[in-house]
Amino acid sequence: MRLPDMRVLMGSGMVVLLAFALVLPSISPDSATTNMATFTLMYVGLATAWNIMGGYTGYISLGHAGFFGFGSYTLGLLLAKLGVAGGYTPFLFVPVAGLITALLAVLVGWFALRTRAATFVIVTIAFMFMLQLLAENLIGLTGGGSGLGFPIPPWRGDFYDIPFYYAMLVLALLGLAVSWWIRRSKFGLGLLAIRDDEDKALAVGVPAGAFKLTAFVVSAALVGMIGGVYGYYVTYIYPQFVVDPLIGISMVLMVFLGGLGTLGGPVLGAVILEPAQLWLAYHYGASRLYLVLYSAVFLLVILLMPRGIIPSVRELIARWRARAPAPQKVVAP
Amino acid sequence: MTLALEAAVLGILTGGVYALMASGLTLIFGVMRIINVGHGALVVLGAYLSFALWNRWNIDPFLSLVVTMPVMFVLGVILQIVFVRPLKTDREALSVLVTYGLALGIEGLLGYFFTSNYVQITAWYDTASFPIGSFRVAYVYVLGFLLCLAILGAMFLLLYRTSFGSAIRATMLNRTAAQLVGIDVDRVSAFAFGIGMATAAAGGVVFGITNSFNPGSHYDLISRLLTIIVLGGLGSLRGAIIAALIMLVTTDITAVVISPVWASFVFFVILVAVLLVRPQGLFGVSVRDRL
Amino acid sequence: MRKALIASVAGLGLTLISCGGGGTATATPSPGTPITIGVSVSLTGDFSGDGKALVQGYDLWAQDINAKGGLLGHQVTMKYVDDASSTEQVVSNYQKLISSDQVALVFGPYSSLLTKPAAVVVERLGYAFPEPAGGAPSVFAAGHKNLFFVQPAAIEDNLVSYTQWLLSLPADQRPATAAYATEDDPFTQPQIDKAKSLLEAAGIHTVSYKVYPAETTDFTPLALQVVNSKADAVILGTQVPDAIAFVKTFITQRYNPKTIIETAGPDQGSTYSDKLGANTEGIMVPAGWTAGSTAYGNPIFVSEFIAKYGGTAADISADAAEAYSVGQVVDQAATKANSIDNQKLIDTLHTGVYQTVQGPMGFDAVGRPTGGVGVFVEQWQGGSAVFVYPPSVASAQPEYPKHDWQ
Repeated sequence: MRLPDMRVLMGSGMVVLLAFALVLPSISPDSATTNMATFTLMYVGLATAWNIMGGYTGYISLGHAGFFGFGSYTLGLLLAKLGVAGGYTPFLFVPVAGLITALLAVLVGWFALRTRAATFVIVTIAFMFMLQLLAENLIGLTGGGSGLGFPIPPWRGDFYDIPFYYAMLVLALLGLAVSWWIRRSKFGLGLLAIRDDEDKALAVGVPAGAFKLTAFVVSAALVGMIGGVYGYYVTYIYPQFVVDPLIGISMVLMVFLGGLGTLGGPVLGAVILEPAQLWLAYHYGASRLYLVLYSAVFLLVILLMPRGIIPSVRELIARWRARAPAPQKVVAP
Repeated sequence: MTLALEAAVLGILTGGVYALMASGLTLIFGVMRIINVGHGALVVLGAYLSFALWNRWNIDPFLSLVVTMPVMFVLGVILQIVFVRPLKTDREALSVLVTYGLALGIEGLLGYFFTSNYVQITAWYDTASFPIGSFRVAYVYVLGFLLCLAILGAMFLLLYRTSFGSAIRATMLNRTAAQLVGIDVDRVSAFAFGIGMATAAAGGVVFGITNSFNPGSHYDLISRLLTIIVLGGLGSLRGAIIAALIMLVTTDITAVVISPVWASFVFFVILVAVLLVRPQGLFGVSVRDRL
Repeated sequence: MRKALIASVAGLGLTLISCGGGGTATATPSPGTPITIGVSVSLTGDFSGDGKALVQGYDLWAQDINAKGGLLGHQVTMKYVDDASSTEQVVSNYQKLISSDQVALVFGPYSSLLTKPAAVVVERLGYAFPEPAGGAPSVFAAGHKNLFFVQPAAIEDNLVSYTQWLLSLPADQRPATAAYATEDDPFTQPQIDKAKSLLEAAGIHTVSYKVYPAETTDFTPLALQVVNSKADAVILGTQVPDAIAFVKTFITQRYNPKTIIETAGPDQGSTYSDKLGANTEGIMVPAGWTAGSTAYGNPIFVSEFIAKYGGTAADISADAAEAYSVGQVVDQAATKANSIDNQKLIDTLHTGVYQTVQGPMGFDAVGRPTGGVGVFVEQWQGGSAVFVYPPSVASAQPEYPKHDWQ
């Protein structure tokens, strides 16, 4: 074929995108744009992390906001107990927060993964609310409804957002690297087999239990680290805002919009949805109709492209190339 | 001790409302195998409809059900045809997203028409009460409870005493097999969704009289309803009713005996404990198929 | 890869620092040009009711200031953006207002919860942050130099004057027992805790004390607990929905304590009385402002408010008066400094006394109000809320004990 290979195209696209992401803060017109970009990158990371569990194994967790909040509180408490001052040092504790979140995820996963399908979805929601209630009720530890304060970074003016931007970028890239590696590994194949038919996967010798748990823990740890950086960025966290069901459902939406189980899908979904949401809320929030607008857009997308943008576009290209009903390439359903 | 008893009575009375709301949700799950995350928003919509009728034309909230239940039924059938039926692949996950999208849309519209201020349906008799010992029970709670019982009874009659009910139950048992024996599964699904919405309207009225609510109230509501139907066993009507009563009684007793901050937590602990022993919930059928 | 990334981060950082990342110092607008004042308010979400009232207050102030020729000659336009009652959005909003929309000034949002993270952003960008609704102890504990809480007293002292009134009653009439319940919220709980410690010190026995999550929707079990305690005095840390729910259960249970006070709810005018009708009679609320007060500019504020938004004096929310006061304070500070430059405003606001519809007030180093007249006790009597204590401001006698429910 003389046509450029799909993978080369995607690859070069990724490189351009990465280069753009690296220099964005220096070409950003104002700190508000950097701020928007930081939140967008945050969701790139979250959606990518969620996809490792939800996309590859087919287990839909609506409770990942619980890990987000847990990571956030863990970092905040670590910094408070150790008396770490604002600056670059708090970022060094982010992996620690990720590790502790991973431990929690082992526990939650061990329990939640006893259930399947719809029950699993709801059990994850229940866990999220339990974590939220704990954050509210353990007042001596978390400050309850009065919130938990982070050390305030000394940076002033427009520079303030930049360290957070790069922290989010690093985490998003880490998530993408892990996701990419899993897709190419035997472990990833096992996960996809579980998604297609768990009982068959078990029958052919995939250690489904261990595989699912690993994916769950990896995904939760990434989300926990991102939650930590988020907490430090917004400086005050409250139970209802960091363990927020909306954060959990946003990740899922982005993955579905971009393409479930694909590498680039979550990135695309996040890059479209998060700025759109921030922009709509900022410009039309006052009219109260922005929720209606947002929901209309997203219902349309799901009904028209139920498999997400990337698989739909891929299929379109494949068809256009073949100019005939080509044998369907196996892509993520 | 008397306080705990009072809380238990209150828990049973309010539990009836949750039983009604949860039964619609579990019915929809049973028939269509979808999680209707928008159910909470539909309850709130029902509450607002009755609120509007009462506010504008002074129509008694219980009486307004004569109007709102059929309206919501039709709306349910339409929503099912437009938004749920087109989902062919990955129904389980996509239905969560679609119904969530519907919930957001309803929240936005309600916010537009009614603002986000908290409102409550206040009938003239809403603080009237009768005594049981030193404790007084408000008539609205009892009325609400009786209404819920009546509607639940009607639902059971429909399911177990009519041929349409058999079609619904057959679909719940096995969708494919039901289709094979000539049941119009699409039609059954649309009707089930409509019935779910009609019960949401009824639940909404009682909810709106006993709680103050705003368009954002559905988040809290749906999280409670979902945990109820999982505890009871997905798709089990009996399970939903019993789980609703368990939930409200335990949370209300915990609130007065231990502390209100631990009330919902205790319920989640019960849920986790039950699921450890019975992953399919109290009355659920063991789920080996992939749904 | 990551090494390169870290290097480039450091490199970029250094460049920016050397460029003098001194902040988003906007040039002071030249005289006579119109200016925009930015506010993030909750138009959706939990605080949207209060958010709406803030907008009314701010709008009315802008109309007044423009009618008298503007803020130091600048015609004022208000720009509102919705924060959906969420911290993430409030942080983004102030950043956008200041750095991208380059508004001349910013005013505060509703509630301590959102004021805390917002204050960090606003301080970082070098703006003054006069705010009407964030007065929790933790707001001041953060030590912001640019924040000014425009209410007559810090939140935790809100119930002090109520306790003084209770203790001023003759010993044989004074309540012997008290029941407390409060939301776990930085606005309500500090008030209740302070009142409790003051009353306990004076020998009023605590028979019930409950803290409940802010997300609670069914308040009946909580209210039952208060009912069962049979306390003489009921002191509740509420916002609007729970303020109404508690009273309803009391009515149902025919529980008639001698006195009831709620931290918020009864100060919201018709939003509150619509739900309770004649049963508002005798319920108290701490308030720094009442429609009937004769404080600086208040009669005009009230009549203009009714002219602009309709309704009666009883419909005006205290939130609106607090927002209006923010404008008044900024107007006086600008005149005094003869500038609307943010740094000059900050320096000016830390000294002197400012007149508002809530009475005079000044601000200490962290923006806590000082020298204010304090917060008084308001009581619903005959369908409207009136000041009843202390006698120096009272327009009616306190009704005690409270009449039975109707």
